[in-house]
Amino acid sequence: MDNVKNWKELTPEQKREERYKKWLAAPGVKFKNKEAEKLYKERVTRFIKAIKMEESDRVPCMLPVGYFPAYYAGYDLKTVMYDYEKQRDAWMKFMDDFGDMDTFMGPGLVLPAPALEMIDHYMHQWPGHGVADNVAAYQFVEREYIKADEYDKLIQDPTDFWLRTFMPRQAGAFAPLARLPHLTAFVGIPLFYLASFADPGIQQAYRTMFKAGEEVMKWMDTISVVGREAIERGYAAFGGGFSGAPFDMLTDMCRGTTGIIMDMYRQPEKIHEAMERLIPIAIEEAVSLADAALAPLIIMPLHKGNKTFMSPKQFETFYWPSFKKLLLGMIDEGLVPLPFAEGDYIPRLEVIQDMPRASMVWYFEYMDMAKAKATVGRNNCIAGNLPVSTVIMGTPQDVKEGCRKLIKACAPGGGYILSASASVDTGKIENLRAMMDAAKEYGVYK
Amino acid sequence: MNASDNWSELSAYADLSALPPDIDRIEVWSKLTPEQKREERFKRWLAPDVEFISPEAEKLYKERTTRFIKAIKLEEPDRVPVLLPSGVFPAYYAGMNLQTVMYDYDKLKEAYLKFFNEFEMDSCTGPGLVLPGKVLEMTGHRLHKWPGHGLPDNISLYQYVEQEYVKADEYDAFLENPTDFWMRIFLPRVVGAFEPFRKLAPFSGMMGIPIGYYASLGNPDVEAAFKTMIEAGKETLKWLKVVAEVSRISLTVGIPNFRSGSISGAPYDMIADILRGTQGAIMDMFRQPDKLFEAMEKLTPMAIRSAMARADASGSPVVFMPLHKGNETFMSPKQFETFYWPSFRKVLMGLINEGLVPYPFAEGKYGARLEVIRDLPRGSTVWNFEEIDMARAKKVLGDSACIAGNVPVSMMHTGTPRDVKEHCRKLIETCAPGGGYILTGAAGMNQGNPDILRAMMEAAKEYGVYK
Repeated sequence: MDNVKNWKELTPEQKREERYKKWLAAPGVKFKNKEAEKLYKERVTRFIKAIKMEESDRVPCMLPVGYFPAYYAGYDLKTVMYDYEKQRDAWMKFMDDFGDMDTFMGPGLVLPAPALEMIDHYMHQWPGHGVADNVAAYQFVEREYIKADEYDKLIQDPTDFWLRTFMPRQAGAFAPLARLPHLTAFVGIPLFYLASFADPGIQQAYRTMFKAGEEVMKWMDTISVVGREAIERGYAAFGGGFSGAPFDMLTDMCRGTTGIIMDMYRQPEKIHEAMERLIPIAIEEAVSLADAALAPLIIMPLHKGNKTFMSPKQFETFYWPSFKKLLLGMIDEGLVPLPFAEGDYIPRLEVIQDMPRASMVWYFEYMDMAKAKATVGRNNCIAGNLPVSTVIMGTPQDVKEGCRKLIKACAPGGGYILSASASVDTGKIENLRAMMDAAKEYGVYK
Repeated sequence: MNASDNWSELSAYADLSALPPDIDRIEVWSKLTPEQKREERFKRWLAPDVEFISPEAEKLYKERTTRFIKAIKLEEPDRVPVLLPSGVFPAYYAGMNLQTVMYDYDKLKEAYLKFFNEFEMDSCTGPGLVLPGKVLEMTGHRLHKWPGHGLPDNISLYQYVEQEYVKADEYDAFLENPTDFWMRIFLPRVVGAFEPFRKLAPFSGMMGIPIGYYASLGNPDVEAAFKTMIEAGKETLKWLKVVAEVSRISLTVGIPNFRSGSISGAPYDMIADILRGTQGAIMDMFRQPDKLFEAMEKLTPMAIRSAMARADASGSPVVFMPLHKGNETFMSPKQFETFYWPSFRKVLMGLINEGLVPYPFAEGKYGARLEVIRDLPRGSTVWNFEEIDMARAKKVLGDSACIAGNVPVSMMHTGTPRDVKEHCRKLIETCAPGGGYILTGAAGMNQGNPDILRAMMEAAKEYGVYK
């Protein structure tokens, strides 16, 4: 937000307002027509008011569209992971056919398989690559990528840790990067580090990284074509970036669930130190992503803090303090964090409600939404949680009825976004329409 | 063994290997005392993995190396060892100049081999600091000026370009994520070709796939910068091969390398020279001493690790450490004791504990520092002085560290060989008794009369014999 005068001197609220202005004004966007522009502003206003805990014209709706457009167009996840044109066509078709919706989820989570193949990516399996061709999801490959005694590498020098320790284990093509020297030649004449770039293995690793970078750019072109089209047609921009909780970053990517649970007992202070290190980096990353986007929302999928993974005491000791710090850091920058709490978060409500008013959105999967409204929902916007089973297996009537109940419980006074408990990949488009209809029928504020 | 084709050996010069195989093979390495480690390194220094050109060369190599080892251990060798302060003299002696040998590696080799052939010495300054001109040029290196590039063609020196490359409020960026700071903040400012690294995304593997980072690599400027880095790497390697070969040849003809391939320094200098500049660092001493301390604390283990990696790859355990901003003209005794010495001592101790021999070259006036710097384990360090009363240095440090120095550069350039020889005689009389002295210059002689260097050698042989 360099274009805003005195940005650094603004309060968090003022920064958020500036980001809302940008979201609404959509600088650089050429709307298809006046009507599209009008709809865009209405839809964005609907979300902004919900976040601000105000009543808008009606409850905004976030449709649970995951990879649904791929299947709706007759393809599958595998096809659109490899073929960006089909990816684009599928999402465009869905946009054409569906019509009115508040926001449109682009194919940003359809990872570019050619790039993953190029780098020999170990951390996910995808259709045709570790999981069956017709599977509509990835399988995350959790492992102890980082050993119990390697916390200090991360704590001392995070980027060095990622470059020389994490990357070589995360993708086969980057194994040679482990041979790089510590790239901080502050002594004498900084020249010797250059020689390591003559190592053929390291050169190859960088060449592959660039090829993958170019591939990622191709894929991002597709995403931006689809995304721009959606906005030009008047659908609200939504995601401003991705992030996560520090505890999850350590658990998912580095130590694995088993490893981190051991660490909670054997070396708790290392977990805390490492999480502390990750916070400013995650904030910088979120800011740079959101600065490049229209909307200030930072989507944060949460994993290991739910009821099934840890006790309330562990949540309050290991999970929440660093996560809260990260949330507050983002909020200070005017961002609007949108944690997606996967799994059962009911026992967490009392703890997580302690956040500045109208600063974020809590998106729940397994939740007693009335209880959520009475706790977290008093201060901040909540979203959720029509079961995906209903969206996939139910009738449009079931969907509509489920939404009606949710709206009744959560909408009063504002601060609610209608959505499902997760996204759907397959199923009937009628059920998605039913959700949208419910918002329009039951969600109007009078 | 053909060193020039052996990637893994050369890579050692580039700080690539943690520990070389032969150090690893000493199973109990981590259990050895610092003295035992040093002894192991001395053994390695005495028995390099090369084929000597003759039994005579091998004998000379061992004699000369032993001379240095005994001086370091504060024992009396057969005679005072001489480290010829030859700077880049070999280039001029061969009728070339610094510029020529910076750009033409064949000529570099030719010049140094001629010098080895035609001079007697116990050791000398190797070609490792004749920087590769092409690399500096292709990367747009801004930290130095060199002959033909900011300096006249015929100059025999570099000019360091000191600036406040890093601002007063940027300490935290370094402290929290040093490599990120190096890559995205520091390099774009000091190396022209790496300016695009500013556009790199913050690097984090937190979401499993650093998609943003990959995408930032798709920027053509960034890609070009990495390509330059790789090309510069290849060129640096060409140069390193020649440097490695020259130093290997010097061993085969019986001339030990005194300095290892390693170079280190004082944490305060790293900040005052490279990051904040002299002025910036001085302001920080008053305005934000805590940040300065934190940064030095952070640099200390990095300095130890990087010096170790490269010293392990060399035969000699001696780590050259040019010192700058701690001398009498830059700071008060109290500032020295507060800001300079504590972290510097930690680096020294870190190296000593690994059996390495720190070789600080105290540029400028260091007399007022003697009482402070004495506080190191006996026989662990070699202090090379520039401007100092050597009698007092001997008196204060004599029972703790080997001292080296300090024939004035002015005398080497303007005096007669006779003057030099006479000066060396006095130095030997003052410093040699009991051992622990290496005869050398106050700095290097880059150009001048070859007989000056010969006079130093003569003086050592004539006056420096222990009986």
